[in-house]
Amino acid sequence: MPPKKPTIPGRGLLKGLGVTFKEMVNTLKPDSRGGGPVTVQYPHEKEEPAPRARGVIALYEENCTACMLCARECPDWCIFIEAHKYLAPPRREGGKPRQKNALDRFDIDFSLCMFCGICVEVCPFEALFWSPEYEYSELKIADLLHDKTRLGQWFETVPDFEPYEGGSEAKVKKVPQP
Amino acid sequence: MGNVDLTEIPESQKLAYIAQQAADGRVNLEFETDEGMTLNIGPQHPATHGTLRIVAKLDGEQVISCEPAPGYMHRGYEKLTEVRTYPQVTTLINRIDWLGSFANEVPFILAAEQLMGIEAPPRAQYIRTILFELSRIANISLFLGDLGIQLGGITVGFYAFRDREFVLNQIEAVTGGRFHPNFDRIGGLKDDLPKGWIAETKKAMEKMRAFCDEVEDLLIGNEIFQARTRGIGVIPPEIGLAYGLTGANIRGSGVDWDLRRDRCPAGLVYDKVDWKVWTHPDGDCFARSWVRLQEVREATKIVDQLLDSIPSGPVMAKVPRIIKVPEGEAYVATENPLGEMGYYIVSQGDLVPFRVKIRSASFSNVSIVPWVCRGVYVPDVISILASLYFILGDIDR
Repeated sequence: MPPKKPTIPGRGLLKGLGVTFKEMVNTLKPDSRGGGPVTVQYPHEKEEPAPRARGVIALYEENCTACMLCARECPDWCIFIEAHKYLAPPRREGGKPRQKNALDRFDIDFSLCMFCGICVEVCPFEALFWSPEYEYSELKIADLLHDKTRLGQWFETVPDFEPYEGGSEAKVKKVPQP
Repeated sequence: MGNVDLTEIPESQKLAYIAQQAADGRVNLEFETDEGMTLNIGPQHPATHGTLRIVAKLDGEQVISCEPAPGYMHRGYEKLTEVRTYPQVTTLINRIDWLGSFANEVPFILAAEQLMGIEAPPRAQYIRTILFELSRIANISLFLGDLGIQLGGITVGFYAFRDREFVLNQIEAVTGGRFHPNFDRIGGLKDDLPKGWIAETKKAMEKMRAFCDEVEDLLIGNEIFQARTRGIGVIPPEIGLAYGLTGANIRGSGVDWDLRRDRCPAGLVYDKVDWKVWTHPDGDCFARSWVRLQEVREATKIVDQLLDSIPSGPVMAKVPRIIKVPEGEAYVATENPLGEMGYYIVSQGDLVPFRVKIRSASFSNVSIVPWVCRGVYVPDVISILASLYFILGDIDR
């Protein structure tokens, strides 16, 4: 319970106006609390999202084996995968030819995606990554379906994983270098 | 029955059909009466993020009765969880109370952990509690701004949106999502803290404390604000308890009840920090707002203490890759920014929950509106609704 002070009429109003005035002066200073003006002039200046920010999903196609784990675990089933099997030449001379999966189609429908990150998390072969890019709005909703070429282009924007805070036992993962 | 031509129906069934159709439409009809004027507050309102219709019957400037009509935002989460695996559920329930999303995940995960008999490692418990409190700060600081906007003081709204961003940036830096973290996992957390996060968060907490002082000067101490909230919408403690109010609404009525202190579930570390539960004896709109402001202050202190004492170690316990929760039932409730939020999970040993009952705080909190709005004047309805503080998604789920 706060102590009830005897107040002069209008004191609270003046105090409030004082706060507003102080904030007005603060925004003129370059490095005040909040660092000057809070807003940025968006198309000209851009705010840098955190490296972990979930902006868009990038695909590293070489690592994908079309195991369908991401498509199965997706909560709203917005990943579409088609693949076919082929026989790759054997690694050693005289060995058996290896059976491999080739990716025909890998689409993510970003109009359905909830940006939960489950697909990135369950991928056992490190083929999916988060990129903090966010500028991919479209005029038509159908254009939000990104195919594997488009998802592969996002891979160039994937930042390196950050080091962890002290006391952590987790291992820092590495983004594959193509 | 759908759209049926009435001429095709035999005379004997016609009456039953019309009665059935009328029963469906009664939801809208029951508020229309002859006495007084009906005023619809909502479903759309510029100051609300979401849709809630409040039907007030007026006699001049006085409210005879006031009835909330929820359901415009019903998304069927309880049913949706029955066809989602446990890891998939957390991404859905993020969206219940969208201002403090991380707090929604915690009780569900704790209930599932209780059923599976898993305990998260200490480091994960500490980080979980820190993020829980950060989401509380982000949520309630927007409440303080929204309160100002609803009562005509726009300035505090802008400051709230600005300063809340410091906290959201910290949440984004560790979880990757500003609003929907989806960070809590059965048996721990998705990831560990990034380097430099602890120092940054301490700075953000400093800023939030400065924000609290600012709100105190700008809004709480303002005479006009006090005139519009003091003595308005008084809820006596016994009435509040009878309606199932929780959180700051019941603490504003002088009931010293906080689940964080009184029934802290295993998996959160509130017992390791020194903090205080604030109450206010008045029970009016001012008391509820004031208690919430103190809660933000207290939450910054909790975060600061926890940041100093995070133990080292892993953030994930040993959990099977495919999560099957054994047969059983569990109810875990935590003190969310809005009040008691609990999940009652019934599992039949399957990949998906058999049934999930979500007890959200706002649904109970909004149920007192007919009682507390009876006989007040129309401008006071806005004060009462703003100070009761419900998130529309939390009412309808």
